[in-house]
Amino acid sequence: MSENQKKILEMLANKKISVDEAFQLLSVLKTEASAPESTAEAGTTVKPKPKYLRVTVQPSSGHEHDDYAERVNVRVPMSLIRSGIKFTSLLPPEARDKVTGALHDKGIDFDMRNLKPEDIETIIEALNDLEVDVVSSNEVVKVFVES
Amino acid sequence: MKRPPMLMRVQIHGEKRRFLIWLPLFLLLPLALLLLIILLPLILVAIIILRLRGRGSHLPPVIRASFGVLCSVRGIKTAFDVLCSMPGLRVDVSNRNERIYVYVI
Repeated sequence: MSENQKKILEMLANKKISVDEAFQLLSVLKTEASAPESTAEAGTTVKPKPKYLRVTVQPSSGHEHDDYAERVNVRVPMSLIRSGIKFTSLLPPEARDKVTGALHDKGIDFDMRNLKPEDIETIIEALNDLEVDVVSSNEVVKVFVES
Repeated sequence: MKRPPMLMRVQIHGEKRRFLIWLPLFLLLPLALLLLIILLPLILVAIIILRLRGRGSHLPPVIRASFGVLCSVRGIKTAFDVLCSMPGLRVDVSNRNERIYVYVI
């Protein structure tokens, strides 16, 4: 406990300040104490590399014991995704054109021919921030990255 | 350095039967490699035929054949990369009565 915190509690004990005032003062002290640490952390913290892509499907609350309730828990190593993307380079040009065309039809303007190894790393790094939560009446689907 | 997976655990729990197997991939991979070496001439012939009949038929056969082998070697390398990336893969699908669990170590 710091000196300032002791002083605040003493003032509260001596009824010089109210409980609300003491709470506010303690909150301010706490904020001041944590602020320099968080800024220092923000400057130095490096996000850990994503290791696994996780996909989970759980029945929503109230449906856990239903007969049709299914649970899915998939953990895919990022290296497997990386290798899988590299595998696309082996696709014959005709097949690649078909995939690109199909994506274009769906409104996704993405040409697989332009995919370079450095792009793959960027995609993998960007996945670090991925978090998808889909909640329906029966199921909860979560897609996230585990470091 | 990447290493190929050592073991694969496959577990199937059904209403009537239960099944659990540890596949020793470190024993199966040399067999697969041996099979690949045996089949390599056939693969080579298939690639040559496909190249002759398909795209790039204006090129000399030697270049086409070399290109075909190069392609297949690259393909084998990429497939091996995928295989080496599999450790850690876990798939667990279950419902009230059944469960399928696959884990690669």
